[in-house]
Order: sequence, then structure tokens, then C-alpha cells
Amino acid sequence: MAKHALSFTVNDEAVEVLVQPWDTLLDALRERLGLTGPKEGCGTGDCGGCTVHLDGKPVASCLMLAVQARGRAVRTIEGLGRPGALHPLQEAFVRHGVPQCGFCIPGVLMSAAALLAENPRPTDEEIRYGIAGNLCRCTGYTTMISAISEAAAAAAR
Amino acid sequence: MTMKTTRDVRGVGLAIPRPDGPEKVTGRVQYVADLQPRGLLHAKLLRSPHAHARIVRIDTSRARAMPGVRAVLTAADIPELKRKAPTRSHAVLAIDRVVFVGQPVAAVAADELAIAEEAVDLITVEYQVLPASVDPLQAMQVGAPPVADAGTEADTSEAMAHGAVAVARADAPPPKAVNVSQQSRLHRGDVAKGFAESDLVLEKTYRVPMVHQGYLEPHAVLAEWDRTGFLTLWASTQGSFNTRSEVADVLGISENQIRVIPMECGGGFGGKIRALCEPITALLARATGRPVRYVMTRREELEAGNPAPQVIIRLKTGVKRDGTLVALEAETVLEAGAFSGAVLAVSAVFLASLYKWPAFEVRGAEVLTHKPSIAAYRAPVAPQTIFAIDSHMEQLARALKLDPVEFRRRHLIVEGDPMANGQPWQSNGGREVLDRIAEHPFWKSRAEWKASSGNGRGLRGTGLALGGWLGGLQPTSATVRLNPDGTLSVLTGQVDIAGTNIALAQIAASAYGVDIEKVRITTGDTDTAPVTGLSAGSKTVYTVGTAVLQAAEDARRQTLEIAASELEAAIHDLELADGRVTVRGMPDRGITLAQIGKKGNLYMSKVPPVLGVSRPAFSQQAPGFAAQLARIEVDPDTGEVTVHEFVVVQDVGKAINPLGVEGQMQGGAVQSLGMALTEALMYDGSGRLMNPSLLDYRKLTAADLPDIETIIVEKPSPSGPFGARGVGEPPIVPAPAAIANAVEDATGVRITTAPLTPERIALALLGGQPARTA
Repeated sequence: MAKHALSFTVNDEAVEVLVQPWDTLLDALRERLGLTGPKEGCGTGDCGGCTVHLDGKPVASCLMLAVQARGRAVRTIEGLGRPGALHPLQEAFVRHGVPQCGFCIPGVLMSAAALLAENPRPTDEEIRYGIAGNLCRCTGYTTMISAISEAAAAAAR
Repeated sequence: MTMKTTRDVRGVGLAIPRPDGPEKVTGRVQYVADLQPRGLLHAKLLRSPHAHARIVRIDTSRARAMPGVRAVLTAADIPELKRKAPTRSHAVLAIDRVVFVGQPVAAVAADELAIAEEAVDLITVEYQVLPASVDPLQAMQVGAPPVADAGTEADTSEAMAHGAVAVARADAPPPKAVNVSQQSRLHRGDVAKGFAESDLVLEKTYRVPMVHQGYLEPHAVLAEWDRTGFLTLWASTQGSFNTRSEVADVLGISENQIRVIPMECGGGFGGKIRALCEPITALLARATGRPVRYVMTRREELEAGNPAPQVIIRLKTGVKRDGTLVALEAETVLEAGAFSGAVLAVSAVFLASLYKWPAFEVRGAEVLTHKPSIAAYRAPVAPQTIFAIDSHMEQLARALKLDPVEFRRRHLIVEGDPMANGQPWQSNGGREVLDRIAEHPFWKSRAEWKASSGNGRGLRGTGLALGGWLGGLQPTSATVRLNPDGTLSVLTGQVDIAGTNIALAQIAASAYGVDIEKVRITTGDTDTAPVTGLSAGSKTVYTVGTAVLQAAEDARRQTLEIAASELEAAIHDLELADGRVTVRGMPDRGITLAQIGKKGNLYMSKVPPVLGVSRPAFSQQAPGFAAQLARIEVDPDTGEVTVHEFVVVQDVGKAINPLGVEGQMQGGAVQSLGMALTEALMYDGSGRLMNPSLLDYRKLTAADLPDIETIIVEKPSPSGPFGARGVGEPPIVPAPAAIANAVEDATGVRITTAPLTPERIALALLGGQPARTA
């Protein structure tokens, strides 16, 4: 089957890439563009590991076809911050020792960033619901909640 | 080994974030599935749709003819395969019989994953479906459909690898029933006489179903052979050297022809010890001459991973009216799935000798069924066993109207008491942990919490439980080098999942006498690292930490020897501080670590390089105990449990890095709560998994939980580095019992089958029988 040319914006950069019609957005990001930060933990939208922002909103990139992103703006964990210039959420995660195996972390951070964009001073309860779509098996979530809460408080100051 | 004191440097005891944090929070750290070498092929397996069937014929012709397909393998293409596979790893592809749903039957490597998936669909297999053994108790009956080929030997390597407990004293009669692959019997005293003399005899059967370890990264491996027949595996493993040994054994090649490179491991919890997909991926790579990557889907993980066994424990105890323990009898059935490999002895030790029973008889049986074979899951069989014994202790205390904490404390073992297998209990903090949790305000105010039930609120209750883990042992090794700039390089082969590398670096810093900022630690692969054991059994800091400590002390001794020679002073007159060795009382007479390091790497220098080496083996375990307390509310209409507060108290010996320790305690507690409340692999009568997705296999989310409060107790282990004990496993142990105890406190109903789902609790409240899950 013929591949489709897909033009969209990824992490503020215009890109054009050839994708299969059945490629998910996650496939396109990981396999075609080499952006392997978003993770596939289930492929069915249950674990949240593949969470990216589409026009600023969090989506499960494993549940979307790549071609549906045509003309739209995608942000992945690679576009949130980078070593040496971390996003405040990323800094807080490091300081609180949140990452253990690390596999869920990119998805959790993208959900948390989307939450703070919509609700800059969430309560702990709102944070818990904000990342309820992200499964983590290592941390028990407690340090994540404190880190997100602290990053939100720091941004408000 | 004697206990070390921390030198006056930034090292042991500091809560320092792990150095790979920035890489992890920016998505730059690499897991196997992130690797994309030139010429990469993708693998897909055709798996059995039947729990038990004979393979009549396989036709791969249409798959082979498909463009983009580079190899199709069945058992007939693999001469290395043997019948009567001793382990699941050896059963690479089914030969003529499938024994569980999801068992690999054929394998494809193709240019793209979508092509491999389509090719797998084009393979036709004719099966003759056979009756399956699905329920372990029925599988033990005469005439049950057999799982293993006659003459297959039991696999006890997991028990050896996990080093949980020596079984030398276990008195095991030969297996009789057709699907019983291992048996054990431990006994002391006259149990029948004990029951006859008891005032109260309580008998209950406790069940915990198969559960999945739940690591977020599915199994994955990348394999490539070079032209000389050398195999490289990029693996998601808890132990590179173990993976190398297993793959070498299955493929019949020598270990020095294989290099295992451990990639970042996205969680393991015992499920990534055994080689599950490495052999078939290596075979596809050999058949194609190309790098081949295989990543399991979540459905494959749930259907055909290697979960924890179902554990069924019938427990009978006799006590006197005043609370004196008299006799205990137990039968443990571990459902191992299609291949042997369960650890039997742990259950016996905790059932019979966590509390001091003068007479006991504990029998254990490993039973094979037509389900995926099991593996370790964080403190294998301990949460299930503690669910039985701690639930039982709580009920006894309630029946006798005794204080439940005091009752446990009175009978809890102490150092030197005999374990069920005759070995003495080592120094442990069981009592300290129990005392600390009993002091907690949530425990002291449990009557007030219960009294606040009703008035629009649910039924409120409080429960606690005590559990632990004996601690694994495995020989290991490490090196510590002094670099020409005065920094240290630590090298081991241990796979860092939980944050153990920073703890090991802290040990090196304190043992050598430099600040942590001067220490860098590397996880090597099997070609570069000294032999290192598994990251399992709560033993990384305990064993690899000991190796690092000894190697750092060796490096320090060598450093001081060189300094003594250079400064023309006696070693015992030297001090090492602030990166410099000086003669005591003469601060001007000194040499820097950088100068010593440089001399060891200088053309024509006569000073040798500093290379500290250690390769310890171990015989002494350091048990770790944890107690957990739950303050809950039960909805009397729906049976739903809300956990309002959850406290973990754990004896860690010495918290080398409190940040990492707390992370283990919180994560372990939530896995334990998952086992208590929601998690179960549910099978229908034909052996098919009914919940093969993360929507239906319900793990706890952030919205389900309160903050997990952690209280660290430090009762130093006489054998661990700086007094440390194993930390990883104890916190997964107590919650199923703690929640069941809390539910009884709240509702008056005792649930003996985990998980404590709303359905089970609601039915029990209605006076019905709790539902059973196969």
C-alpha cells in the first residue's frame, strides 16, 4: 500500500514524514521520527505511557492514526524540556526521586503538564485524577503528587 | 564481616536523587524497543489459542511466500529443541503439543511489524483439542489431564536463584499425583496431640489468584549475530549474566559467544529473570542474518507472560484459651502453570515459624495446570502466605478477646529461634516494626474511627499486618578504580531498576573516603562487567553493596600503600581526607588522590594503578520485616473499599539512600494493595484468560489511593554493608492481610479470598458465599 506524506508540527518544528495508513501517531513518532520518549505500554489506551499533547490537549497517541495529526501541533516529552533546561515539572520529578524504572514517566509528565496548563493550582485530589490515566508500577504515585504540587506552587510564585 | 562506620564524607545515609533522573524525565533513556539499528527486522509469534491440544500439522507456505517476510520458524526448523523441556525457556516453540493459551507455535521475522503480523495470520495450524487441567485442585486428582510429558523433571532453579531459603532440611516424599511436580513436608512435634489439647481450633482456606507482575515495559529483546557466530542481545532483564547462561544453554553455544547488553529495564519485579523471548529472537536473527527486535504486546504479557502462582492454603491451628499456641497444620498448593519452577519452602517457613508453634506439619505441593508457567513476583509467595497466617492470627486474637498486636508480639520469633527448616532466624527487626506500627495514631484511635461509621458514611475499620522476606543471596563481584584526576569509577553488572546504583556509589564513597560527587558507577555488559547476580531477592544493596564496599576498601588500601611509599611513612600514620593523603599531624606532607591516580597511568611510571576488586559469596541472610496499617471505609451497599490512610513501617537495617528506600516502600505497598483489592488473572473453564487487557486487569491508579506514609526503622544487620538489609520485597507482603483484617474490623465479615473485590465483600455482607475465581 502506498505510504502517505504527513505534514504536521512536532515540538515546534514543521516536519514531513511518510507513514503507512495504519500507523498510529505513536508509531509515526517512535518509528518514523525517532522520538522514542513516548512509550507503548499497552497499545489500547489503558496505561497512558504514550501520552502526548495534540494542539495542547493530552491524547493517547497509540489510539490515533498518524494521518489524523495532519496539520496539527504535537508535543512530546522531548519538547517539554531537555537535560540542562528542564521543565519545572521535570526538575521537581528529579528532586523528589520520582523515576524508578522510568517507563511511565514521559506519559505522566505530559498528563501533568496538560493538567497545569488548564488548572495551574490543582488540589492533591485534582492531581490524582489528572494522572489517573497513567499507570505506574514502581512509585505508588505519592512522590509524583508531591512533585506536581510543588512545581505548581513554584510556578504560581 | 564486621560493621563499618561511615567515614566523614558525603555518602551513605544521604537522600540523593539518582543521577539518571534527568535522562529519565526527558524521555532520553533507552529501552530495548527504542533501539532501531540499520537493517532491523520485526518479530511476531503465532501463539496457541488452546490450553491443551495436539498439533496435527502446521502450514507456513503462505506466510513464507509473503513479500517482506525474511524467516518463518516452527519447531521443525530448530534442531536444538528437546522434548521434556526442563524449563519454559527451553520450550522455545511447541513441538507437537501445546500446554497453555498463548504458547508460541511459530515465529516470523519481517521488514515491518505489520507484515510480520499479517504473516502470522497466514500460518494455519490444525489442532486436536484435548481436555485441559485448569483448576489446580482438580489437576491433582487421579485421571486429570496431564500437563508435562512423562519424565520431565521439576525445575528448582528459581528457588536456587532467588536464594530465598535453604531446603536441605525439607523432608519431601516423591511426587505421586500426575500433575504434582514438587512436594515438601516440614514438621515438628505431635500435631494430633496438640489439636486434642487445644481449646480453640480454627481452620480456614485462603486463596490468592494468579497475578501479573505488572511492569509497564513489556518483555523486549533485540538480537544480532556477527559473521563469526557471536551473538549480541540487547535485553530488558533483571540479570544479564543469568540471561546469558540460559540462552547459551537453550541454543547449545558457549557463554563467551554471547554478549548481553542490559538496556534500561522498565520494571521487572521478578518477571524478567528467566529468558522468555530471548531464545526465539536469537534464532530468528540467526535465520535471517539481520538484527531482529521482538516486543511483546500487553495482551501477550497478560496471556503468556510468567505471572505469580495461584496460592491456596488450608490452615488449621489449635490454641489454648489464654492464647498459648499449640499446633499448626497447613497444606499449600502452588499452581505453577505449565512448567515447574515455584519456590515451595518460603511458604512453609512463614506459615510454621513466623510465630512460635511448638508442633506443626506443613505440606506443600507444586501443581501443574494448562496455564502460562509462573515466575517470581516480588517476595514470591510471601504476600499470599502472610495473607493466610496473619489473617489467622488476627481471627484467633479476636476469638480469644486478646489485643491483636500483643498476641502477635507474644509469639513472634526472635533471633536464634528455629525456622521451620531447622535453621536459626537471623537478627531481624520484626518486633521493632510491630511496636512502631502499634504506636501509630491511626492504630491507637481505631475505636474512634470505627465509631464514626454510619450517618451517610460507610463502615469504617482499621487493620494491620506483619510480614517480611528472608533476603536472597548470590555470589557477585565489583571493581573500584582510582582515576588520574582523583575520581573513582565503580563497575558492576547489576541492572539498576529501583535506584540501586546511586546507593552503591554512596557505599563506595563512604568506604573509600571521598564525597559522592567524586564517584561514578557504571553497569557493564556481560563482556565488560565482573560477574554480578540478579537484581532480585532484595539483595542488590546487601550483596552487590558488600562487593562494592570491599572493592572500595581494597582500593583505599592500595591507595594508602602507594601514598606510604611516596611519602616514606607508615600506612597507619596516614589519613585520607578532602581528596588528599597526609601524614597524621603533618598536613604539609601529603599527596593528592589525583597525583596517585596519575602515577598509575603515566608512561614509564613505577607506580601501579589502583584497582580494588571484590568477589564475595554469602551464607548469612538478613531478614527484612514490614508492617502495614490501613484505615478504610466499606460501602455497605456496593462492597467497595476506600483506603483512607495507609502506613508502611519497615526495618531496612540502614537506609543507604532514604529517597530510594521510601520509593521502594511506597511502590511495594501499592503493589501489595493491588493484590489485596483488584488484581487477578481470571480464567474460564477452558483455560482462556478472560481479562487480557489493562482495562480489565485492574491495577491501582493515583485516583484509587491515598498518600502512602513511610516510617523507616533501622535495626542494623550484622552482615549487610553499613548494616543495610534488603528493602525491595518486604513492603509487598502485608497489605492483603492488613486489608482483610480492616474489612473484618469494619464489617464483621472475614474474607479469605483475594482480591477483596466489591462483589466478594457485598456477597459476604449478604451472607452469601464469597465468589471464587479459578
